[in-house]
Amino acid sequence: MTSRRLLLATLSLAAAGLFAAGTAQAQSLLETIKSKKEIVIGTEAQFAPFEFLQDGKIVGYGPDLMNLVLSDMPEVKVKQMDVPFQGILPGLATKRFDFIVTSVTVTRERASKFAFTIPIADATTALLRRTADGGLATPESVAGKVVGSQAGSAQLKALQEFSAKLQADGKKPITVREYVSFDEAYADLAAGRLDAVAQSMANLATLTKTRADTYALIPGAIGPKTYFAWVGRKDAASAPLVEFFNTGIAKAKSSGKLEELQQKWFGFTMDTPVDAVPEPTI
Amino acid sequence: MNADGLLERLTAYFPVMLQGAGITMLVSSLAIIVGLALGACLLGMSLANRGTGPLTWAVTVYVSFFRGTPLLVQLLMAFYLPSAFGWDMPPLLVAILVMGLNSAAFQCQILRAGLAAIPAGQIAAAYSFGMPQRKVFWNIQLPQLARAVWPAVVSEFMDVVKNSAIISVIAVADLARVTRQIFAANYRPLEVFLSAGVMYLLLTGAVFALGSWVGRRLQHRGGRGRRIGLAATGASHV
Repeated sequence: MTSRRLLLATLSLAAAGLFAAGTAQAQSLLETIKSKKEIVIGTEAQFAPFEFLQDGKIVGYGPDLMNLVLSDMPEVKVKQMDVPFQGILPGLATKRFDFIVTSVTVTRERASKFAFTIPIADATTALLRRTADGGLATPESVAGKVVGSQAGSAQLKALQEFSAKLQADGKKPITVREYVSFDEAYADLAAGRLDAVAQSMANLATLTKTRADTYALIPGAIGPKTYFAWVGRKDAASAPLVEFFNTGIAKAKSSGKLEELQQKWFGFTMDTPVDAVPEPTI
Repeated sequence: MNADGLLERLTAYFPVMLQGAGITMLVSSLAIIVGLALGACLLGMSLANRGTGPLTWAVTVYVSFFRGTPLLVQLLMAFYLPSAFGWDMPPLLVAILVMGLNSAAFQCQILRAGLAAIPAGQIAAAYSFGMPQRKVFWNIQLPQLARAVWPAVVSEFMDVVKNSAIISVIAVADLARVTRQIFAANYRPLEVFLSAGVMYLLLTGAVFALGSWVGRRLQHRGGRGRRIGLAATGASHV
């Protein structure tokens, strides 16, 4: 009897200790990272040319910019985890990741729950069609057609709002299909299972350049001007870390390195505000 | 389709896929070992106290949970939940652990089916000699029942390799993830996914070959022992 009670007491103490360890994060996350000499970063490496896998390494505009910013903390090792996009923000919330370095569109819902950095690129949504499908000349021409986008993305939200607008204008609504990653949507578009894909102009510009025989852009945005940014937790402990990344991105912009990276990965530059996180429009 | 181009592309995929296959085999082989060892332990635990008592109940709950929930859900829970309590487990470790725990539940039930192959008289005789239950399980029951259900055990090994194809959702760069990235770069689903299929076939084939070799060794050892055992007890049936 006594030994069983002792066991129960020890287990409860151990559980309490674990909870205490989890909640004792009053220390700034930036300090913790510097002392542990390691930062755990979440990325969805299925978003060319922002971040994608090549020969087993995560490469792209995002990783290049991240390495530039983190060069101010040279002793810190980056542990970058490649997970599906739907696990990115939940993983940040459960402290699985310290910070997110993946192109996340700034939306109202996300801005209320998480802390965005200043933008790294333009995320305004446009439509992609098959090159052979010349009939789709304007965004309105996809009324009544099948359009795909990524589940949980702001581009999907923009597509759904566009469909609602078409319906309000008396046109047929869009049949929206959701995919785990944009690559799957592109493949279905090429295979003929979709008529169009809603994705950010920056991604589409590069895609239509490298695969001009398969894909073409439908000129015209289908939503308001939006931006991609990186994300941290919206608590006091993460604030210095978000500030650190903001300083790094602003420095890259003022030194011209940001434009250089944009030219390297996209072939064009984008206008992004540096003084503050822009108000979300979606 | 350009045949020369095809061969070039296949040779280009091969080293990248081999890297992914290496991770797949690392996770799978460790998960297989954990699964078999833990599965045997679970069976032993559930047989304690002649099948009554808290251990049996605990094993039942464990097996129901791991067989009754999808592996994907188990992986995601084990990857995202611990960090909420301040634990930090590397994804590779999480993958090996969860796949091992999952396989153990199935191996426990597979091995349990082999219990019927052991003549009841042996157990009675062992207990009458005063052997403790643990010794009876590990020295008398387990070797014989493992021999009896070995093909099903090897089949579960192969299932572990195939199930490992979803560990990329928790940041492990296995063969399936590498394949998807090659596909995202060149949009040739037939040859890319066929190559991946062939690779998985080779991996499961290797597991099957190794497992069958072990099975033959078990039969060989068991055969002689069984004859001696039967002769000693004077059993009239074979």
